[in-house]
Amino acid sequence: MSALEHRKRWSAIGIAVVAAALFAGAVVAGHFDAAPTGLEAAVRDEPLVRVARIPAANGLGERGVFVQPTSAGFLCLWDAPDATSSARQGGCNPADDPLAGEKLFVSLAYDGGPDVTGVRDARLIGIAANDVAQVSVVMSDDTRRTVTLRTVGVGGRSYRAFGYRLRRADLEQGLGPTAVLALDARGVEIDRQATGFGAG
Amino acid sequence: MRLSLLGLVLSLALSASAWAGSTTYAGYQSWPAGQAASTGYSPSWYQNIFYKTSSFDTTVTFIDNVSYGWHSTVRSRGTYVETHWLSSQTKKAHCRANTAGSSWAACTAHS
Repeated sequence: MSALEHRKRWSAIGIAVVAAALFAGAVVAGHFDAAPTGLEAAVRDEPLVRVARIPAANGLGERGVFVQPTSAGFLCLWDAPDATSSARQGGCNPADDPLAGEKLFVSLAYDGGPDVTGVRDARLIGIAANDVAQVSVVMSDDTRRTVTLRTVGVGGRSYRAFGYRLRRADLEQGLGPTAVLALDARGVEIDRQATGFGAG
Repeated sequence: MRLSLLGLVLSLALSASAWAGSTTYAGYQSWPAGQAASTGYSPSWYQNIFYKTSSFDTTVTFIDNVSYGWHSTVRSRGTYVETHWLSSQTKKAHCRANTAGSSWAACTAHS
């Protein structure tokens, strides 16, 4: 083999190595996710347990409130049509502190908007600490809506779970939620979490 | 020959990125209240995730390119917030910090 052929061969090998590296890099970059390794797969693949239901109303279908203890070390809370639906909406916190140091873990899901007049359906779901006796939704006119709580066991701990669909009459009047309150057995507010539509 | 190989390299790299189908479209060490970010418009986005290293109030949604209405919006303080919009409509994934976040957090969309 001549020196020229030798150089050509090594050039071709070099280009092939760079090609492989660039291809692998592109795949890795494309698959890069911000979440911890395994969390997205666990959320996608692991089973959900229903802890509350949101009844059908005004032509809108029933939905469920689901918890999902995951092998990735997170406890997730979902609003979904059923336990196998991929159209789930919600979130997760670390399993060792699922309420993130608060009394409530709340999620608001809605379709339409961002202005309240454009919202067609809105649902609040959550789990609360066991010493929460009542959960209320504060509306934008300062009136309150009380939600029904269900005691549930999750991962050896007890919580109060809820799911609440906002009334169509409220939405039609331009009323949206502004906060969710946790009250103790004496009616004293022990947590308040802001919520609402759009950029508010 | 080298030019052909280089072309192959570049096309492989580009097609691999497109095929992979996810993008982290915003990632910051701190999020001022009101900070928001979006992907470009595409019919193929279906999942939108906001991951934070500590809890703060955020929103994820999809915005269509006709009415600019919001779809499958979720607002939560969870450290991982996820929504899906299983529609072929052209849309962008959008995320927003409703309160300030003082640790690293990022938004990822899947197609």
